[in-house]
Amino acid sequence: MTDVTVAALPAPRSIWSLRFEKFRGHRLAMYSLVFLAVLTAICLMAWPLSQYLGIDPNKTNLLARFKAPNAQHWLGTDDLGRDVLIRLMYGGQVSIAVGLLATFLMTVLGVAVGVTAGFLGGRTDAVLMRLTDCMIALPLIPLLIVLGAVDLTKLGLSAASAGSPLFIFLRIVIIIALVDWTTMARIARAGAIQVRDRDYVRAATVAGAKRRYNVLVHVLPNISTPLIVAATLTVGRVILLESTLSFLGFGIVPPTPTWGNMLTNAQQLIISAPHLAVYPGLLIFATVMAVNFVGDGVRYAFDPRAENEGRSH
Amino acid sequence: MLRYTLSRLSQAILVTFVMSFLLFMLIGLMPGDPLENMLEGNPSLTPELMAQMRELYGLDQSVFARYWNWLMAALSGDLGYSSLYFRPVTDVLFPAMLQTVKLMGLTLLVSVPLALLLGSLAARKPNGLIDSVVGVFSFASISLPNFWVSLLLIILFSVKLGWLPASGTPLSAAPSALEQMRHMVLPVAVLAMFHVGPLVRYVRASMIETLSADFVRTARAKGLGEGSVMVRHALRNALIPMVTVLALSFGSLFSGALVVETIFGMLGMGKMIYDAIGNIDFNLALVGLLLATIVTLLANLLADLAYALLDPRITL
Amino acid sequence: MSNPLLEIDRLSVHIPMRGKGLLSSGIKLRAVDEVSLTMQRGETLAIVGESGSGKSTLGYVVAGLRQQTGGSLKITPSRPHQNGRKPVQIIFQDPFSALDPRMTVEDIIGEPLRLMGQDRGTRRGRVLEVLEQVGMPAEAAQRYPHQFSGGQRQRLAIARALIGDPELIVADEPLSALDVSIQSKILNLMSDIKERHGISYFFISHDFGVVRHLADRVAVLYLGRLMELAPADEIFANPAHPYTRALMDAVPRIGRGRRKRGQVLKGEIPTPLNPPSGCVFHTRCPRATAICSTERPLLLPLVSRPAQLAACHHKE
Repeated sequence: MTDVTVAALPAPRSIWSLRFEKFRGHRLAMYSLVFLAVLTAICLMAWPLSQYLGIDPNKTNLLARFKAPNAQHWLGTDDLGRDVLIRLMYGGQVSIAVGLLATFLMTVLGVAVGVTAGFLGGRTDAVLMRLTDCMIALPLIPLLIVLGAVDLTKLGLSAASAGSPLFIFLRIVIIIALVDWTTMARIARAGAIQVRDRDYVRAATVAGAKRRYNVLVHVLPNISTPLIVAATLTVGRVILLESTLSFLGFGIVPPTPTWGNMLTNAQQLIISAPHLAVYPGLLIFATVMAVNFVGDGVRYAFDPRAENEGRSH
Repeated sequence: MLRYTLSRLSQAILVTFVMSFLLFMLIGLMPGDPLENMLEGNPSLTPELMAQMRELYGLDQSVFARYWNWLMAALSGDLGYSSLYFRPVTDVLFPAMLQTVKLMGLTLLVSVPLALLLGSLAARKPNGLIDSVVGVFSFASISLPNFWVSLLLIILFSVKLGWLPASGTPLSAAPSALEQMRHMVLPVAVLAMFHVGPLVRYVRASMIETLSADFVRTARAKGLGEGSVMVRHALRNALIPMVTVLALSFGSLFSGALVVETIFGMLGMGKMIYDAIGNIDFNLALVGLLLATIVTLLANLLADLAYALLDPRITL
Repeated sequence: MSNPLLEIDRLSVHIPMRGKGLLSSGIKLRAVDEVSLTMQRGETLAIVGESGSGKSTLGYVVAGLRQQTGGSLKITPSRPHQNGRKPVQIIFQDPFSALDPRMTVEDIIGEPLRLMGQDRGTRRGRVLEVLEQVGMPAEAAQRYPHQFSGGQRQRLAIARALIGDPELIVADEPLSALDVSIQSKILNLMSDIKERHGISYFFISHDFGVVRHLADRVAVLYLGRLMELAPADEIFANPAHPYTRALMDAVPRIGRGRRKRGQVLKGEIPTPLNPPSGCVFHTRCPRATAICSTERPLLLPLVSRPAQLAACHHKE
């Protein structure tokens, strides 16, 4: 009965191993990934290092302002006598954490909106996509500033928790996700519409699949490729948004250091201590650039033209 | 076409109203309340008097009622008073808008030609040396924090070299045109640097596509010079959809303008909004944000219409 | 014979057309218009018509993918529905879109069982069983769809349809996307399965050549209406409806070009948005007379062959 020879079938090879090989071929992306890994590792050393050097990064010491680099303060001290290096390391933790968390949150939000719109179609789709179109056009920074200025005690939060560092951190993550989910939504919608009309979804429906099953089993895995690519590129934009917002004073506020708010004071000090303006910005730039290169590499690795190589005709 | 225009216009108006309500709510959530800020430090105010004032200004009503009152007043031309500048909001915002238009206009004058030039150069030999350099440049453009670049340029050109002023607004009462221009150099440079990156990538992609199209090959076969092919055929084709790309970048350009205006101390819309929110000037913040929103929506609407007009594939 | 598998009674699918924006335009597309037919157990019914005749829509209603807007449809399985067993399954035209590229063959074929709540271990044996039935090696189970050719994929799709032990398989032009040499193999497989499992096919096709091999009865659809319904032998020997005749004349003969003989069908199929009055075929019919444009013919048995039904004022 069997009239297909097994030899004609190529060995199964996971798409992921192919992709990883391609990604490794993108040298700039590979170097960037290594750079980001090292940077993250260094930033995570902030606490142990501060213990070792005996430094409290948030403690001001007006007698030790603008110290040059020395054995205890490897990059010197800032205008309030705080250690620059340790603050940069903590700032890096914040930036990277905000970048990853906000991207994750907006992916969830965007996929929820996009898949709902795309899979249900009709009026739901029309309304949701009009909303998305408008959101895409809006100027993000002014919107973020208003959201950053919202007084959470007016929403029923106690003053203590609204002012806690964790809350301020989460609030940044949430507001960035709230204004910037639209790209994800568009991508998810386009994918959902494509997959919705595939015959395999129809076959599953005939076999008794409900909408939820089809979304989870068929739609999400099949739209994951463009989503992963877009998410990687989003991380960089989020880090920029967070640092801009913190620089303007509506993001993460001192004493918690971030690369953005470390530059806020630097603006007043450009004559007396211009070097303080260099490190945080350089780190933002290098990190965002590296993330974008990694994003480019992921896009290259996930290029669908490479996935068809195994197809036999 | 008329039907399409009307339908898009009515949608834009609807969105404007929805946005105005959302912004009204958000602004209301800023710390403090308008009355306290207005009368701060007035010792003759008893709690009873405050309550009376609240009632007078309708602050004890629900957010919907207050929005309705505000909307009715706004539609009849009364946009309120700025508590920061002690002047009607319109008086404050009008010159600010001119300033921002000037900044953004000059930026476009720099970024668009630059994007066309770099994009075309890169497209001539994809993956060649120039293309790689331009590619890294455009990556840098989208990765650079614009506030940091502003600080660096100020440190370099104003503090160290002393060539250019660190502020975007001349101090003298009646500055000459040249003086005004000198103050605009750094802000425009930063904004253009930040605006040009995505444009370059777009121009490059669209030029590569057109350069491989049949009609361009025909033009080459006819013996037209390379420069002539680039400019007369490829570039012209890439320009039309660029209208849409530019319009879509309007929002991010405005965001950039806010940052640049704040750093260079230019009294534009962006800085107005920033200061208004920072100083809890409810009226100014609301109207400024709403104005920015409306202008952005309008830009997108015009781009959609222009695209529909220019592209025969969209049926109206 | 008194208990048919499928009973369709004056079934209609009228699709409201969406206008611009959010409003309905008020126009309805009559995809299927008052179709009545029955299918006996084990019987294969071929639905024939040009594209746009509504045959796929009718198939989707039978498969439960679409709701009818009028009339009724009744499926009476011989065995009770146990554990969510579905009496109807479906096979599609495009074998590349029919299989989820992210799933292994085992998961794809086992999906109907998964939806019935069976766990992976229970499914595996049955998957290998149906793989063998469709002539695929067991090793295929761990592969991904992109590793198979079109014909092999169609076998996998058939395996998925078979696994839930259905009584009726809706086959929506299962051969038309395949190479001619593969077509005959799949056709043989399908008739083999029909004989071994007593499965009925609701076989949608535009190709009389294929239908001749498989069908017990043939239904001819035009603009959503049933033109002729007859046992296969009789319809091939003596088509009663001029439309059926026209379709048969268009069948290509192997070794000769397509549509060599008398081109009876003139012009394009009219739009189902605004079907012709009376007999919908009168605009293209060689036998049309005055009555055809005013009165809708009923589907009635022929006097000489009562098993053959045709909806025509001038049936042979």
